[in-house]
Amino acid sequence: MKLLIAWRLTMHDRVRSLMVIVGIFIATLLMFLQLGFYAAVPKASTLIFEDMPFDIMLTSPAYVYQGSPHALPRHRLTQAAAHPEVVETAPLYIGTAQWLSPESGLMRGATILGIALDRPAFRHPGILAGLPELAKADTILVDTETRAMYGPQTAGRLIELADRQVMLGGTYALGTGFVGLAVAVVSDINFHRILPARPLHSINMGLVRVAPEGDVRAVAEHLRALLPADTRVFTRKEFFAHEQARWTRATSAGLIFGFGAAVAMLVGVVITYQMLATQITRDLPRFATLKAIGYGDGALVSMVVGVSLLMAAIAYPLAAGASFFVYDGVRAVTRLPVEMTMERLALVFTAVTGMAAGSALLATRRLLQADPADNF
Amino acid sequence: MNNRPMQALRRVAGIVPLPGRVPLALRSLTADRARLLRSVSGIAFAVLLMLFQFGAQKAFIDSSLEVVRALDADLVLMNPQKNRFGTKAPFPREQLVQAAAVDGVQSAHPLYAEWSRSMWKNPDTGLWFKVQVLAFDPDKPVLRIPEVEAARHALRTPDTVLVDSRGRRFLGFPGAGGGSELSLRRVRVIGTFPLGPDFLIDGTVIMSDRTFLNTFLPSGGVTAAGSRPSKVEFGLIKLAADADLETVRARLRAALPNTVNILTKGELEAIEQAYQSRMAPVGPVFNIGVVIGFLVGMLIAYQILYADLSDQLGQYATLKAMGYSNGFLVRTVVEQSLAYGVVGYVPAWILANALFWVVAWVTLLPLGISLHLTLLTLALTLLMCGVSGLIAVRRILRTDPAEVF
Repeated sequence: MKLLIAWRLTMHDRVRSLMVIVGIFIATLLMFLQLGFYAAVPKASTLIFEDMPFDIMLTSPAYVYQGSPHALPRHRLTQAAAHPEVVETAPLYIGTAQWLSPESGLMRGATILGIALDRPAFRHPGILAGLPELAKADTILVDTETRAMYGPQTAGRLIELADRQVMLGGTYALGTGFVGLAVAVVSDINFHRILPARPLHSINMGLVRVAPEGDVRAVAEHLRALLPADTRVFTRKEFFAHEQARWTRATSAGLIFGFGAAVAMLVGVVITYQMLATQITRDLPRFATLKAIGYGDGALVSMVVGVSLLMAAIAYPLAAGASFFVYDGVRAVTRLPVEMTMERLALVFTAVTGMAAGSALLATRRLLQADPADNF
Repeated sequence: MNNRPMQALRRVAGIVPLPGRVPLALRSLTADRARLLRSVSGIAFAVLLMLFQFGAQKAFIDSSLEVVRALDADLVLMNPQKNRFGTKAPFPREQLVQAAAVDGVQSAHPLYAEWSRSMWKNPDTGLWFKVQVLAFDPDKPVLRIPEVEAARHALRTPDTVLVDSRGRRFLGFPGAGGGSELSLRRVRVIGTFPLGPDFLIDGTVIMSDRTFLNTFLPSGGVTAAGSRPSKVEFGLIKLAADADLETVRARLRAALPNTVNILTKGELEAIEQAYQSRMAPVGPVFNIGVVIGFLVGMLIAYQILYADLSDQLGQYATLKAMGYSNGFLVRTVVEQSLAYGVVGYVPAWILANALFWVVAWVTLLPLGISLHLTLLTLALTLLMCGVSGLIAVRRILRTDPAEVF
């Protein structure tokens, strides 16, 4: 009965109710979008590591983030491999080189990731499929998100990396994130050919995989005790936490998008309140009538809350659905990994319904004080 | 509805009407205080959103332009491969010497820079971070930063540096007298200057060309006094007092090979701006943010005005029935809408200033609301309120007074 009255009140002036729902929809979409941007910053920073097969990551003690990874001796990987619970290790080399497009004469910086072909640091299908190409001398795989100014990504195209002619052997679609505007994967041998100053015994990151039944934390502790001070040992969880903390708390992009998300949440919540409070105030005479014909305070409150939640309940799924499309568009334009998560769906849902119930309760205070006779 | 302050306000509004007119817009605005407060706060938060998005985008661009703006030059020479300030693409120093000989050129000073091999060690934590290093001949000033200008002669002492007092805190830049290592070389800090980070650079170190040579070029770490790096990153040209910029530029163009670009500072700023807003990974996000800020603001304002006008439909229908023309009603509604815009803008502007002050303090970015930004956002606010009013007024024009009652 109460719900029916709430429904009737909502349907009474459909245009007005629709406007309120559209308002809440927009406020909700805004929250989704800005939170999406904020989450994309650490996500972009960890993009290349996400599908890497590792439980433990060895880095230089000076490691800060992949943009300046520093080196550690490759021998530390061999030492780690000796642990009985370690099933696989893989080196990763990270370097930058000038990419010259001979067609345009344009020279721009590119990031090069070097992997050992017999134990690749990636398990991305596109890279694994390209391993035969990578085995050829001076051949590279290019990330499809490499910007257009680096020229066409057709297999067989010749370019120069650090003044050495190399051939595009193919592409893969992993995403460039914050790694660079152009990212290429090469074999370790070719990495050294392109960047002769970078010897193979000096790696940037060492990936260690522990047997499924093994205890990752115990292995990590063991390696910490075993390896000298030139190596830092992260478990997978620690590694991602370290990367994300840096990007969200220490860099300009993370900080400013954090404030952007906070402002969007604030604005979204205030707008939701504004919309619903206006709507409820407008319906006051009707509620007063109900009060006059004998409905109790409890019934009135639950009706008002019902109207609010009903509108929020219509607006929220529409906004959540729309944000999937908006994220797609934003991904296409910015090439940042803007993606929906369960946590975000829950957070925004809590904010919207909490605000809907809150504005309803605020507005009912006035209703409960109202003398029906005053409202006409 | 019939409380004293409201009556007083109405009386005041009634006392000072425009000649021959009842201040109808003002009266319908103040008729319901609670509604006014809600509507204005709704619009104010929509404006705050817009201000924040515009301000953040401006800070993003401005932070990368600070160093370009600090260059003391009329014309800048640089390698055409450079698509932004902070990317390594030097050109031979001979070309700068050639430029100095061109008629109308008063001075041609070199600026050296390093962005990738320049690793600064935080003296407190021992961690290494990439910083931007700028270097110049202490006898040939290139930066219009007073602190750098004051300390430049002291930079002649080998292995002394100036550090950015607004650099990111995790760099651990010490004050004068402190020391650390830069790319494995011990350096002594003899002073600071306020530049601030941008979205790619966390902090800046300034040194002499000789320290630069010793730190980054394969010279065994020691060079004789007087030796200079063979390549420069930027050539900063100052014109003689009576020289014409375009004439000198044409002469330079004729004198130099086309492996060097000759730009005004404005053109260099435009290149940097284009890179940041189009190429940098986060640039498009700020552009989207600005569009979203405006669109959301517009829709919210429309929604609010529409709701308020609908509530006042009865009053407007009465006016219509009394014989007021549609033109009068439109004017009144638009006035009321603009009044909402102005009343909403003021608290939003104050709130945004407070917010930016906090955000600037945390992020070290040049956030603030300039006069230009104020006028732009105020104009957009009035535009969105005016347009919303015009759209919403159609409902009143369609109304048949008889139906409302």
